[in-house]
Amino acid sequence: MNSSGGAGGGDLNGWILAVNLIIWTGIFLYLLHLNRKLRDLEKDQ
Amino acid sequence: MESLKKILPWLLWLWLALVILGAFLYAPAAVGFKGSSRILFFHVPMAWVSFLAFLTAGVQSLRYLYAGRERRLDRSAAAAVELGLAFGVLATVTGALWAKVMWGAYWNWDPRQTSILVALLFYAAYLALRAAVEDGETRARLASVYAVLGLVVAPFLYFVMPRMAEFTLHPEPVINAAAKVDMDGKMVQVLMASLAGFTALFYWMHNLSCRIQDVADRKTRSQR
Repeated sequence: MNSSGGAGGGDLNGWILAVNLIIWTGIFLYLLHLNRKLRDLEKDQ
Repeated sequence: MESLKKILPWLLWLWLALVILGAFLYAPAAVGFKGSSRILFFHVPMAWVSFLAFLTAGVQSLRYLYAGRERRLDRSAAAAVELGLAFGVLATVTGALWAKVMWGAYWNWDPRQTSILVALLFYAAYLALRAAVEDGETRARLASVYAVLGLVVAPFLYFVMPRMAEFTLHPEPVINAAAKVDMDGKMVQVLMASLAGFTALFYWMHNLSCRIQDVADRKTRSQR
């Protein structure tokens, strides 16, 4: 798979990049919340 | 140790955030792919993680059958299959989106599309089998044997069957037929970083899923 030589992009790439970062941060925060909740439950048990 | 446990998830967030930035700002677009090549940095790791999950399920099931029939091993296998299916569906969807851009249709019955679909159906049947058996011990034993069978089926469907086809529209795999990586250096860097990040994400999610089931199991036992 050869490259075209530049990262290139434009407005559309900027939007997709932002949406990707938001989705990943959202998933990460949910997993972190789950982790904390589980730790509390494990302590209680 | 405790502070390391707190830092590790944040390192993973940073790692995958850098992968996303790298995929769009650092790695170049591949020639002839109409800018759609960036999906590669997410599609390939998702397919890899689904394979890894099915492999994990097989190994945990083997351990269940030969190492004392511990319930946590059976639960670990089931959690791995659930995650493998989720990542497999995501790999199929991202692949279909890419196919629409490049081939003009979401689904083309290409050998790779067909083989991943068969793999997903095979593991969906694993969950159906679990749901169909009421007795916990019988369910664990049957499901474990099925998942061990997957140790042969999954590598065949992911790596052997797509290569047996005489014609495929799918681009060459990352490691091509000549056992070489024919890809721009920057693209390889981002792809490898993405593979490592997604692998770590899978093991974190798997750990959380197993712990949820352990907590639920202890609660059920204490109520009896």
